[in-house]
Amino acid sequence: MSTDHRSGGGCCPPMDLMRSEPMQLVQAIIPIESSHQTVSYLGDLGLIQFKDLNADKSPFQRTYANQIKRCGEMARKLRFFRDQMTKASVFPSALTVAHPNVNFDDLEAKLCELETELLEVNSNNGKLQRTYSELLEYVLVLQKAGEFFYTAQDSATAQHRQNEENIYSDGSIEKPLLDQEMFIDHSKQVKLGFVSGLVPKGKSMAFERILFRATRGNMFLKQAAVEDLVTDPVSGEEVAMIVFVVFYSGERAKTKILKICDAFGANRYPFTEDVGRQKQMIDEVSGKIKELKVTIDAGLQHRDNLLKTISCQFEQWNLLVRKEKSVYHTLNMLSLDVSKKCLVAEGWSPISASTQVQNVLQKAAKDSNSQVGSIFQVLNTNAPPPTYFQTNKFTSAFQEIVDAYGVARYQEANPGVFTIVTFPFLFAVMFGDWGHGICLLLTTLYFIIREKKLSTQKLGDITEMIFGGRYVILMMAISSIYTGFIYNEFFSVPFELFGKSAYACSDSSCSDAYTEGLVKVRPAYSFGVDPEWHGSRSELPFLNSLKMKMSILLGVAQMNLGIILSYFNGSFFRNNLNIWYQFVPQLIFLNSLFGYLSLLIIVKWCTGSKADLYHVMIYMFLSPTDDLGENQLFDGQKNLQMVLLLLALVSVPWMLLPKPLILKKQHEERHQSQAYAMLQSSDDGALGIEPNHASNDHEEFEFSEIFVHQLIHTIEFVLGAVSNTASYLRLWALSLAHSELSTVFYEKVLILAWGYNNIIILAIGIVVFICATIGVLLVMETLSAFLHALRLHWVEFQNKFYEGDGYKFVPFSFALLTEEEE
Amino acid sequence: MGFFVTSLIFLLVGVIAAIFVRLCCNRGPSTNLLHLTLVITAIICCWMMWAIVYLAQLKPLIVPILNEGD
Repeated sequence: MSTDHRSGGGCCPPMDLMRSEPMQLVQAIIPIESSHQTVSYLGDLGLIQFKDLNADKSPFQRTYANQIKRCGEMARKLRFFRDQMTKASVFPSALTVAHPNVNFDDLEAKLCELETELLEVNSNNGKLQRTYSELLEYVLVLQKAGEFFYTAQDSATAQHRQNEENIYSDGSIEKPLLDQEMFIDHSKQVKLGFVSGLVPKGKSMAFERILFRATRGNMFLKQAAVEDLVTDPVSGEEVAMIVFVVFYSGERAKTKILKICDAFGANRYPFTEDVGRQKQMIDEVSGKIKELKVTIDAGLQHRDNLLKTISCQFEQWNLLVRKEKSVYHTLNMLSLDVSKKCLVAEGWSPISASTQVQNVLQKAAKDSNSQVGSIFQVLNTNAPPPTYFQTNKFTSAFQEIVDAYGVARYQEANPGVFTIVTFPFLFAVMFGDWGHGICLLLTTLYFIIREKKLSTQKLGDITEMIFGGRYVILMMAISSIYTGFIYNEFFSVPFELFGKSAYACSDSSCSDAYTEGLVKVRPAYSFGVDPEWHGSRSELPFLNSLKMKMSILLGVAQMNLGIILSYFNGSFFRNNLNIWYQFVPQLIFLNSLFGYLSLLIIVKWCTGSKADLYHVMIYMFLSPTDDLGENQLFDGQKNLQMVLLLLALVSVPWMLLPKPLILKKQHEERHQSQAYAMLQSSDDGALGIEPNHASNDHEEFEFSEIFVHQLIHTIEFVLGAVSNTASYLRLWALSLAHSELSTVFYEKVLILAWGYNNIIILAIGIVVFICATIGVLLVMETLSAFLHALRLHWVEFQNKFYEGDGYKFVPFSFALLTEEEE
Repeated sequence: MGFFVTSLIFLLVGVIAAIFVRLCCNRGPSTNLLHLTLVITAIICCWMMWAIVYLAQLKPLIVPILNEGD
């Protein structure tokens, strides 16, 4: 069944993009020694989607699990290099085209070597850096603690002197005895121990409290904040620190304090009371710091050099590793032959590519010096093939619009073909202003002209999106320039470009123009809306009536196109049931109601009749036999209406009943014939049975299911005919909103500012106008018109014919590999 | 210009565009058919748009009434 679809075009050659590429399931038996070469050549070609023949096996049970692990390891190393390079702000040089062939094993060894070297350099640097920051801290401690001692000593000697003076000045009896005792004790005093170091500022309060509690207050803490941030040697982070000195007495207190210091991550440093020693130590440490600095700089230089050599070839290695990984991943999907000498590959491939694939297989066998070539054959299958459209840079964005709704079923009519024109057109109906259109055009032309440059570099999310849809926006811009001329709006200002207005004053005084209106003196304005309507009191009623009717006419036309495409699907798949019991009644139903409405609209315009179309349409259902009276547009209208109503009523059961009944009958016939004798099985393919019914012997036939399905389909169509037509009225609403908004911005901002005759106000007015035009009209309105055009295509147009339940052809291709960057 | 003359111009533009596309990007029968379809669809859309607006103004039931402010 699947093979005889291709001839469905009939008179014409098959149209590009209308149907997805005919596919075939191919099998290749590849000798194991040339398998790697073959798969990598096929990756270059990128025209086969491999089937996973080992789906039941876990990743670890597969043949090339080990190689995949190696690739993963190499990728990890490369990621490590990339991190290191970004840290050191070394950037990988762009991919050189002429790269020498690098061996996979050599590369693995080289990467390993480089990684160890880099790690070693890093760890050395880390150690040095740590010592360096420790020394820096030490200097701080020496300075700050030195200050404590110095000031303490100063005040102590001062007090001492004062005390002594006290003693000597009044050696009276009143002098307390205890005091004297204290001074006597001076010599016997227990020597106080102390610990000095740094603690992070955030912890200092808690640190102090804990120290106080642990020693029961028998300690003295002196602290001073360091003005600048200090690098913590352990974490390498910059933190605010406090230099502290804790005085204590006794060994037990000391152990407690040391433990608390450790718990708080306080770095302790030795310190002497001796001022001379202090000076000496500061000098010593400063010398060490200088030396270390030199060593660290040299180490960093070494690392940068190393990273630079890596960066030269980084992209090439990265690409190679990713290619290798994908090759082994693909090889894992092939099944090993019983003899363990061949790999069997199965996959989908376009029929048109079979010679290319065969050539590649031969070339790979030759290049890998294999004694036996690969065997290529086409398999017969009932599985649905993937959908593959060959798009170019222009059509791909439009195809993506369609694919976003659902990927086409294999070879069904592709709405993408018409979307290329109708999508920008419906957008432009809502966005009709040739000034705005030109702005859009200039924006998108910028992207198209710089296309080559922009496609290589990384763009932001939104820019990327605009860049991807640049051709869609181009078509949208051109269409909106056209509809802008039709609506006669340039930033909402009309121009008399196509001849003279049809309207003029009735007399020279023009007094009637404000009450009765202008008089039509010439034939209708030849292209677009008459400029005289603009700003008139009757502009809105006129435009509303025009745009509402236009929406219905365009909608009915597009829905008819959708139904006609369902005919092409029916004839392509030789499904006569769908043509006679779906396409025909649907066409009749839609046109007997809304086709008739369209006809009425046109007749009303051509005759200038004052008939009320709502009334006509409503009473066509309520009392079809009544006389139309003044609402009659043409002779025989009543009879025509009755015929159309009858047709519409008949077409509903016509859609609903015959198809499931005929399917049931066909099934029973087939069942009977199978029961009596084993007849030739699939000769009845032409009768238009669903593909999956034709071949399967034990097919399930559930009449109720098919009937319910058809019932839903019918109800959806009948109700949809009404609601979809109404849905097209969004064209009217959006277009009205756009023109009203731009009028408001023009009149209430630009013209108002102009009226003040003040250059500053005018300048402000222009700025506000430009901002409002760009922000509201060009960005927001574009977005909303885009979304509404999208909806009209996805729902109102595509539900008439599009199944959209296929799956995309994703070939194994190295070209796609580079696109999916991580 | 009347309805039919302008429609004829649209038709002419369509034919010229089709010939132009056929001559300028001749890439095999399948692609040419796609191009032809696109040109026909585009011309029909443009013509419909014009024709609708033209017909609506052919015998207007209301006329422009000028605003007092003007």
